[in-house]
Amino acid sequence: MKSLYLTFHVYLAFARKSFQKQMQYRVANLAGLTTNFFFLLVQVFVYIAFYKASTEPQPLSIDDIITYFVLCQASLMLMPLWGGREIADTIKNGSVALQLTKPVDFQTYWFVDECGRAYYYLFMRGLPTFLISNLFFTVTIPQQPSVLLAFAVSMTLAIFMSAAITITIFSTAFWTLDTTGISGIAASVITFFSGMLVPIALWPEWLAHIAGWLPFGGLIDIPFSIYLGKLAGIEIWVAIGKQTAWCLFFMGFGRVLLSRGFSRLVIQGG
Amino acid sequence: MHHLSLYLHFVKLRIRSQMEYRLSFIVELFAQASISVIDFFMIALLFNRFKQLAGWSLWEVGFLYGMIGICFAVAEMIGRGFDAFEKNIVRGDFDTILIRPLGTFYQVFANEFLLRRLGRIAQALVVLLIANSQLSVQWSLTKVGYLLISLMSGTCFFIGLFVIAATSCFWTVQSIEVINIFTHGGVFMGSYPFSIYRWWFRHFFTFIVPLACVNYFPALFLLGKIESLGVSPIGVQLAPFAGFLFLGITMLFWRWGVLHYQSTGH
Repeated sequence: MKSLYLTFHVYLAFARKSFQKQMQYRVANLAGLTTNFFFLLVQVFVYIAFYKASTEPQPLSIDDIITYFVLCQASLMLMPLWGGREIADTIKNGSVALQLTKPVDFQTYWFVDECGRAYYYLFMRGLPTFLISNLFFTVTIPQQPSVLLAFAVSMTLAIFMSAAITITIFSTAFWTLDTTGISGIAASVITFFSGMLVPIALWPEWLAHIAGWLPFGGLIDIPFSIYLGKLAGIEIWVAIGKQTAWCLFFMGFGRVLLSRGFSRLVIQGG
Repeated sequence: MHHLSLYLHFVKLRIRSQMEYRLSFIVELFAQASISVIDFFMIALLFNRFKQLAGWSLWEVGFLYGMIGICFAVAEMIGRGFDAFEKNIVRGDFDTILIRPLGTFYQVFANEFLLRRLGRIAQALVVLLIANSQLSVQWSLTKVGYLLISLMSGTCFFIGLFVIAATSCFWTVQSIEVINIFTHGGVFMGSYPFSIYRWWFRHFFTFIVPLACVNYFPALFLLGKIESLGVSPIGVQLAPFAGFLFLGITMLFWRWGVLHYQSTGH
């Protein structure tokens, strides 16, 4: 029991370290905040114009859409592949060897590192984006505590899933060394199928169906649908179950990939 | 003439060095294209549901999208020297540039060439061509010339933005990230008709940062939409020159910035 506590303590320290590391880039964060807000503004202009042109009833109201994109911009930095380049770098420059000699699990280390980064951006980027947006737009805030609770759980799972995906993708560096291409393709697929660009509710049915079978809706579509009250009762449980399953899948898949990678690892230089 | 042949020589060297990593070059080319295909697919999805946007059809918006996409990608390809200028200041490499017998602007410009932006250029060009085939634009020699001038002007506009970011490095060392609002944000904004934005937003991006001049107004002229919107036709015909003017002003800013350079390295 004591050793478990100790392990937890160690990884918590890693997460905190990662959080603090991000604190060094305060000006960059401010610039990022401005950029987020600008994109949000344009997105809102575009959707307002689209909604004006159409008289047919839509699955999401314009207020829903605005809230949705406020949440998207607020959680942009929690998405996979924003961080994690360091993982590929340690493999490329060989410092991974040093890391493997330490009594720390490689995957867990990077997992908590990613989570530390995510929580930094949740508070330092997400929260300000959300609060500033409230001054300019009508952002809906769910009234029921149960919805808020479900949203918090779902958002946490989204962060975990994002970390697991990031590690999996960057661990391909064992094979390719240069991950720019793979991470670029992955990023575009993930951004699209998570519903970050266009809410899945507005997609044609056949495409939304494909998205339903893919894991990436768990990053954006599920938590924000819960937030907007588009999922209710049992649907929430199913959605959260789906997130958990995909989370475990990526953790497992990443672990297999890593162990394969370690077995073929050649360290360059000395 | 000497400058031009030297530039072409530099470009040849850059291309050769980038082709050393052939596989990674091809994968990145593919990544670039796939990102931008999804990008346009997103717009198509919205049109599939809403049918039109402020009186613009999907392919009219595709025309805007293709134009701005080409300009930005070409600017990224040839203007990379300014886009990635920060490292020259951080490492103190700018000293070397100062002692060579060529202008600083020219040297920084000729320093980089990013071949893999071809993927993005190709995608934007394909969208523009498809859009054109779906629309009935009456092409004449004047219109083709006008389109080419607009594309060049748009490219100059984006290079001008890179120059502003690079020049700011003389004071801030690191590049100012806020410029992303105008570069990437500009591409995003420019993919939609300007009439959907609020007046202050429109005016800012016409008279201060002349994004509308190199994209929206030219498209209005080429697609024959001027009459319906009550925009001055002479203004529209002169608009593309704003991009060249913008680059000219940023070059003056650059010249002034160089005077403030303080070496960091060595």
